[in-house]
Order: sequence, then C-alpha cells, then structure tokens
Amino acid sequence: MLSRTHFIYISACVAAFSPSCLLSFSVAAMQVTEAFKHAFLKQMLLGFQASAVSTNSMGIQERKNAIKLSADVAMAVFRGSRKWTRGLIAGLSEKQQNRSFLQLILGEQYERRLMKPCYSSWKIPRCRTIVRRSLRVCCRRQKKKKNQSGVLARTLVEKRTQQLKRLVPGGESMDGLSLLDETLDYVLSLRAQVDLMQSLLTTVESSKLRSHSKRTLTERKASYVGK
Amino acid sequence: MSGRGSRITDEEINELVSKLQSLLPESRRRNTGRVSASKLLKETCSYIKSLHREVDDLSDRLSGLMVTMDSNSPQAEIIRSLLRS
Repeated sequence: MLSRTHFIYISACVAAFSPSCLLSFSVAAMQVTEAFKHAFLKQMLLGFQASAVSTNSMGIQERKNAIKLSADVAMAVFRGSRKWTRGLIAGLSEKQQNRSFLQLILGEQYERRLMKPCYSSWKIPRCRTIVRRSLRVCCRRQKKKKNQSGVLARTLVEKRTQQLKRLVPGGESMDGLSLLDETLDYVLSLRAQVDLMQSLLTTVESSKLRSHSKRTLTERKASYVGK
Repeated sequence: MSGRGSRITDEEINELVSKLQSLLPESRRRNTGRVSASKLLKETCSYIKSLHREVDDLSDRLSGLMVTMDSNSPQAEIIRSLLRS
C-alpha cells in the first residue's frame, strides 16, 4: 500500500520525467528513443529484483556494480544481436558472480546468445585488404605524405587498432570493416546509455529535493499552527 | 558483413570513417578531410574510455542515491511508474 508521502513522491517524479522533459533530452541525445528508455528502465528494475538480497546487506560498492551491470545488460539487450553485444554478454559471463544475475535477466536467451557462432573468423583474409584500403583512404586525406613516415604510421595504426579491439567488447575477433562498423554502433549505444542514466539520476535527485522541501514545509506549517 | 556482395567499395569505407569521425567530440573544430587513420583511432579510443568513465561515475552516484535495491523502495517505485507512463 502506498502511503501519501510515496504518492506525492511518485507523482512528482512522473511530472519531472514528463513529455516536455523527454523532448528536450531527446533532442540532445539523438539515439534515446522511447523504446530504449522503456527497455532500459525495465532492465534496471529486473536488476534490482535480481540482485536484492536484503535491504541492509548490500554495500555501496555492490549496489554500484549491480546498477552498472543492469545498465550494461539493458544496453546490450535492447540493441539486439550484434558482435559487440554478444561480446559484452560473454565478457560479463566470465565473472562467476555475474552468471546467476545474467541467467535471471536473460532467461533462455542467455544460452542462445552465448552459443551463437561468430562468423568473423572466416572473413579475416578479406578483411586484411579492407584494413589496408581503409588506411589508404585515411592517408589520402592527408595533404602531405612522406614516405619515411609511412612505415611508422602503419605501425602506429596497428597499435591503435589493437587498443580499439580491446575497448570494443568482442573486438578481438573482429577485423577491418566489421570493427569500424561495430565501433560506430557501440559508441552510439554508449552515448544513449550515458544520457539515460544521467536523466534517471536527475529525476531521482530532484524528487528527493522536492520531497525534502515538502517535508520541511509541512514541519514549518505545523509549528505555526502550534503557536 | 554477411549477406552483402563480396565487393566492399571504397565509398562504404569512406562513409564509415566519416560517420565515426563525426561522432568524436573534436570533429567540429577540425577541418574535415585532414584526419589520419592513427589520429582517428586514437580519438575513438579515448572517447570510448571517457564514456566508460562517465557510466562508472553515474553508477556511483546512482548507488549513492538508491539506498536500497529493495523492490519496495521509493526508487524502484519511480522506475515502475516511469515504465507505466
């Protein structure tokens, strides 16, 4: 049963997250769609339910990890089947403590996602030429190109490509075009995730302020009445 | 990319590279057309790292505010009501 305080609290939050609010942040955050917001929030809620043992036993670090995990899973689940989302789920599964959580949230999808074969290894011979060609495209854009620096530039590119592969989940098995493509998609999703979490934070913060000020107002009123 | 023809054009690669470049925060300042592959990769890597840091920071702050992960907490109620709206 909701108490009156809860009711005020909640309606204030809904008002804060109203369509006008959504409009302003959807303009700023190009990728945040209504569908993503719903899927994300749903996952967060599932995350809460899945990870809550008892109200007091969760330390702040555990809560933070649970929130982060829920957010990452929400991002991956919404985006659907991509190399990086499979890589992300696989990476999260490597930690023992995450597995039951993932199982709970993803259900039978969990096994399917992990088992889906990655075809990118078949493409590696062709992708090497693509990497070379994309390097040429980038190099052509430079007005001045010295021959001696060519070798250095190529080594630098290879080194940086390795770095990128480590940053994008599942990147180690990607090459050439698919790496670029997955990177693009991953960056867009990350931005949407950040925007959503930011707006959730703002909503919770502002609702706390509102309920706090309402409480002090009530107290002040009560003290006047008493006089 | 499964399903496509075997020929990937320079144009497609060009397009991907431009799209990626336009996502990066400094792209507006720079004169487009002058980017080098290594610079593009370096900026992409640092951008992804900064996004990761932001997610981490936001998770920290959210966990500070959401004192309990209980399904009955006010915060969970907020989320449920947002879902219903």
